[in-house]
Amino acid sequence: MEHAEVHIREEKYQISDGNKKWAFGLMIVGLILAAIGYFTYHPHIEGLGEHDLHHLIQKRLLSNLLVNGYFFFIVSICAAVFISISQIANAGWYIAIRRIPEAMSEYSLVGGPLYILISIIALPVLYHWAHHGIMDAESLNFDAILASKSWYLNVPFFYIRMVLFMGFWMFCAHLFRQYSRKEDLVGGLENYKKTYALSAGFTVVFGFTFSMFSWDQMMSIDAHWYSTIFSIYNFATGWVSALTIMYLFTHYLRGKGYLNIASDEHQHDLGKFMFAFSVFWTYMFTSQFLLIWYANIPEEVTYYTERLFGSYNFLFFFIIFLNFIVPFFVFMRRDFKRSRIVGFIVGGAILLGHWLDVFLMVMPSSMNIATNPTDANPTGIIKVDFQGIGLMEIGFLCLFAGLFLWMTLKALTKANLYPTKHPYVMESALHDVGI
Amino acid sequence: MILGVYDNPDKTYAATKKLLNSGYSVEDVYSPFAIHGIDRLMGIKRSKLSVAAFLFAMTGLSLAVTFQVYVSYFDWPMIIGGKPNLHIPTYIPITFELSILFTAFGMVTCFFIVNRMFWGKNADIIDIRVTDDLFVVAVNVQQNKTDIQALNQLLIDNGALEVRERTKE
Repeated sequence: MEHAEVHIREEKYQISDGNKKWAFGLMIVGLILAAIGYFTYHPHIEGLGEHDLHHLIQKRLLSNLLVNGYFFFIVSICAAVFISISQIANAGWYIAIRRIPEAMSEYSLVGGPLYILISIIALPVLYHWAHHGIMDAESLNFDAILASKSWYLNVPFFYIRMVLFMGFWMFCAHLFRQYSRKEDLVGGLENYKKTYALSAGFTVVFGFTFSMFSWDQMMSIDAHWYSTIFSIYNFATGWVSALTIMYLFTHYLRGKGYLNIASDEHQHDLGKFMFAFSVFWTYMFTSQFLLIWYANIPEEVTYYTERLFGSYNFLFFFIIFLNFIVPFFVFMRRDFKRSRIVGFIVGGAILLGHWLDVFLMVMPSSMNIATNPTDANPTGIIKVDFQGIGLMEIGFLCLFAGLFLWMTLKALTKANLYPTKHPYVMESALHDVGI
Repeated sequence: MILGVYDNPDKTYAATKKLLNSGYSVEDVYSPFAIHGIDRLMGIKRSKLSVAAFLFAMTGLSLAVTFQVYVSYFDWPMIIGGKPNLHIPTYIPITFELSILFTAFGMVTCFFIVNRMFWGKNADIIDIRVTDDLFVVAVNVQQNKTDIQALNQLLIDNGALEVRERTKE
């Protein structure tokens, strides 16, 4: 084999003025837009009193916070999962871009506590099972089905699980970063072996805990409904979004002249990952939908009747277009996976699609108004139609995207842009996917 | 054909490069595993197998859809679970599976055809040792034109364990 000249450079990312403008601009504009959206939102819905409408404004605000908090948190944790999976698979190609998922996982340091804060405010408002009196047999709005689940769905246990799981993931992500940065200083195999052992443990624990996490956070918004494939469907969403962000960052950094050992070959492999996991997401999405659609059991189909036949109908088909049709038919070509322009278009479509996917998991259930059951309305739930993608939605998306961007770029400045003393760094620099 | 037998992928790569630079026509390089970059060096074109795969998948997809629509809508409509007879979600699993099945079988068939392998044919292996640990560079020679002596010397100078002649089949 002919070895091209490889220069392992120790370089750190320098935050440019443009980065600052974008990150803080997004945050400030997002906050202003969200505030305007919040104060100008005066819903008029038939059958709802003044009190309920006021409640609805709060619900929309908190739902948006929950959507963004959840989406960006799972993306940042999935970046840590990418490191651990690549590590236990003994992969060598990804070393050139390894600092990007490491930097993305650093968002969880801010995003995690922020999400817990959001959850503390949102839990009594958005989650029907956490409403006052639901589990109390004496109460007017007592729900026997939810009460039978109270051993799992109760507020203290919910927070114990949440803090334990998130704490464990964030701690592991921290250790991944720490080992990797230490390796740059001392070299050798010691940190590599430690990362290997940690990855093996983390991947197994993550698999189980993420399932419960997604039931708690997303599925229990509509606590009567359940789906056994829901957690892997959530994981697919976070995972493919994380891969897409890595892909876009690689393009960006290479365009700026950084990452001298990353080439089109690495870009191509990340593109293949995006393509493959877009199909994986579609597989999970279809499996969940198809079985529920076919079996047609009343307590299961509620989830899809709201989304498929109600006012969310357009979004439902739009996310299939963005998350499956676009990546599948565009990214099938080899040269499109390597192209910067096409990459940015497809990447943008995938990210928007998966954000809308989480949006569609939360909104239709969380925006319903719960009242006391009456004879006319035995469930006591008043359905509220889709309120549109307004300033509040766009504003909060910008706010969180700006925060994510800032945390990631700042983390990139803390260490060399690729691990210079990793045992596989040469393998990655010479990575070649063939013709 | 002159065969140069090597015991090291780096030597094989270097020898191939030298031969190509000296203007010899290299028939093929045989190796027990992939040597990175040698395909680019030899100027091998990208395989069209992926295009074939796409076409096979489309064949499977259209056959699956045609068959299901014909059976469940035109030929023998049956109401199952109150579902409509002509409805896309019902067709997804079978269409998906048949696309994959056609792709897999089609690509295997293509592979056999391209490599001229079929049942009953004796394996024509250039040198049995390339299936284990050795590498072979096969160079085309033209009668009375190629200087065999110089070629042999070039192969040996680049680290060949042995050089021998073989007729092309």
